[in-house]
Amino acid sequence: MLAPQQLAELGRLLAADRVATDTDTLTRYGLDWTRYFTPDAAAVLFPKTVEEVVALVRWAQREQFALVPSGGRTGLSGGAVARNGELVVSFERMNAILELDKVGRTVRCQAGVITKTLQEYALANGLYYPVDFASSGSSQIGGNIATNAGGIKVVRYGMTREWVVGLKVVTGEGEVLELNHGLAKNNTGYDFRHLFIGSEGTLGFIVEATLRLARPPAELAVMVLAVPQLADIMNIFNAYRDKLDLTAFEFFSEQALRHVLARGTVQRPFDEAADYYVLLEFEKIAPDTETQALALFEYCAEQGWLVDGVLSQSQQQAAELWRLREDISESITPYKPYKNDIAVVVSKVPAFVAQLDEILAREYPQFEVVWFGHIGDGNLHINVLKPEALAIDDFRRACEQVNKHVFELVRDFNGSMSAEHGVGLLKHDYLDVSRSHAEIRLMKAVKSLFDPDGIMNPGKLV
Amino acid sequence: MKALVAVKRVVDYNVKVRVKADGTDVDVANVKMSMNPFDEIAVEEAVRLKEAGKVSEIVVVSLGVKQCEETLRTALAMGADRAILVETDAELQPLAVAKLLKAIADKEQPQLLIVGKQAIDDDANQTGQMVSALLGWAQGTFASKVDVAAETVDVTREVDGGLETVKLRLPAVVTTDLRLNEPRYVKLPNIMAAKKKPLDKTTPAELGVDVAPRLKTLKVAEPAKRSAGIKVANAAELVAKLKNEAKVL
Repeated sequence: MLAPQQLAELGRLLAADRVATDTDTLTRYGLDWTRYFTPDAAAVLFPKTVEEVVALVRWAQREQFALVPSGGRTGLSGGAVARNGELVVSFERMNAILELDKVGRTVRCQAGVITKTLQEYALANGLYYPVDFASSGSSQIGGNIATNAGGIKVVRYGMTREWVVGLKVVTGEGEVLELNHGLAKNNTGYDFRHLFIGSEGTLGFIVEATLRLARPPAELAVMVLAVPQLADIMNIFNAYRDKLDLTAFEFFSEQALRHVLARGTVQRPFDEAADYYVLLEFEKIAPDTETQALALFEYCAEQGWLVDGVLSQSQQQAAELWRLREDISESITPYKPYKNDIAVVVSKVPAFVAQLDEILAREYPQFEVVWFGHIGDGNLHINVLKPEALAIDDFRRACEQVNKHVFELVRDFNGSMSAEHGVGLLKHDYLDVSRSHAEIRLMKAVKSLFDPDGIMNPGKLV
Repeated sequence: MKALVAVKRVVDYNVKVRVKADGTDVDVANVKMSMNPFDEIAVEEAVRLKEAGKVSEIVVVSLGVKQCEETLRTALAMGADRAILVETDAELQPLAVAKLLKAIADKEQPQLLIVGKQAIDDDANQTGQMVSALLGWAQGTFASKVDVAAETVDVTREVDGGLETVKLRLPAVVTTDLRLNEPRYVKLPNIMAAKKKPLDKTTPAELGVDVAPRLKTLKVAEPAKRSAGIKVANAAELVAKLKNEAKVL
């Protein structure tokens, strides 16, 4: 709880109209896309400058008040949830694009710039910011970096980490660090930039970033393929990857598709349902690229790996086909899904998937399980939907029981229990599935160096 | 019954076009081109009529540069039986297009000519009406429902304030509106099969049509940019601004 005097002090640090304590704002900014937590924020603060962020952190350190960073709040692990009376620091007013370096192909911006805004800005300048995902219209650059966001183009362009060449951060002691200054090469010791990428706000706040930009891709074509057997998806992946410049390779199950179609905004791609679908996107770099893609389709069909396929005939159709995959997350949100975001190295996907399928069929017979994900990166999103009659706490407990089996398998495969969603609150207790005890001890030590009083997003990650 | 469908190659709906620096036209160099979405609906309708056993053959025709072949192949992959390209690099205006379509219709003798109500590049919305006049056929424009019988076709039209259904004697011209149907995705096996379907070429000269432009474009300009809104502190300030700046009070 904030004392009246503390509230008054915050009002002096920022303008009074940038300190919100009304219930609506507290609820909205106290939550991300996870639906398990009850928000309980003390206040929501909207700084406009780095100086204001520094002043806030110094104040919080003096008052020993915990801070939670807030971007577009599209996270799926509770990393931006405030449930213990913390102060939420929203970066949405720090949304300026500061500088474009056309020669160096970099852009410097504040943390609160919306991903899509940056993508459009880059395109308008003949360049391309390739990190992309379904929530790009809401998510912010600062949050992307703090969670090392992945998304739908990782198979070609990598995670957010690949694109960050400079950061300005405010540590838990209110110190401002300029990390790497946008350099392409800088071998001068420990690179703190990479510590902050994926740190989920536990070391400090990211206030500014310099991002690398790429050449825009040539025309992109989208194919959706109907695949009867889960195991054949990787065969298809290997065949296509050998011959084409894939920019995406995604899969989803018929169950996932049904939820998207139920919204009535897109049509079924095939008359006949298949158990699984692959969406792949490729760059038409040469006149014969499409011919090659068609030949690959024929080859895969001869092998019996796929039974049908469609190819976008316009950018409009490409966008519509993408919705079959991108709308899944939103269409199942009403079912309060329990989200597993697991990954193994690509070569082990077939073996992993076979065993996982067995575990889920055995352990979740009563639940609807929706499969989709970035299978070209070895990353699966396994969503378990809550039956309407089941109370949310009972549902979550049941899922956590099954987690033990799933995570045991992940551990056996040296996989990740959170491939791109981060750890936050939701996966906090499972960190040791993917990190050794020695690593976790060192992670805690690193946190205490940057945030000695433990005021930066406490309870998350480590 | 034979159906003739006209398809136009236009700048893709999702492309943000820019005006050329000299203001003569829209810059279409290196821009993704696709089938006009209303024509896609026209092709889809013809294919559905064929699937329903109402139409026996679908001929698609496109007028323009060589690359219109791609547009025709898409139509063939959607289900058309054969294609005709009237190849020319000349600028084609609606009257020329209507005359060319009439020439093709005279040759092919279809019972139904289906075209999109307009193309999304010039938004002229003239071709269907003009060709119907040139042919002396009945026209059902802005169709949201098409019901074909042996001698007639019922066309439900989207008009201001509701729907109007007209009964036309065949042969007739139908222009398609957005809500008529939702075009299918093109299946990969059909794309391969479409490569083997016949695509004949002809030229305006062979058809005896003079396509010289009758209209001259004076200038192409971008729409005026909207300036950002502002927040006023109170009603008094709003009234003052409406009086002194907007001058509407």
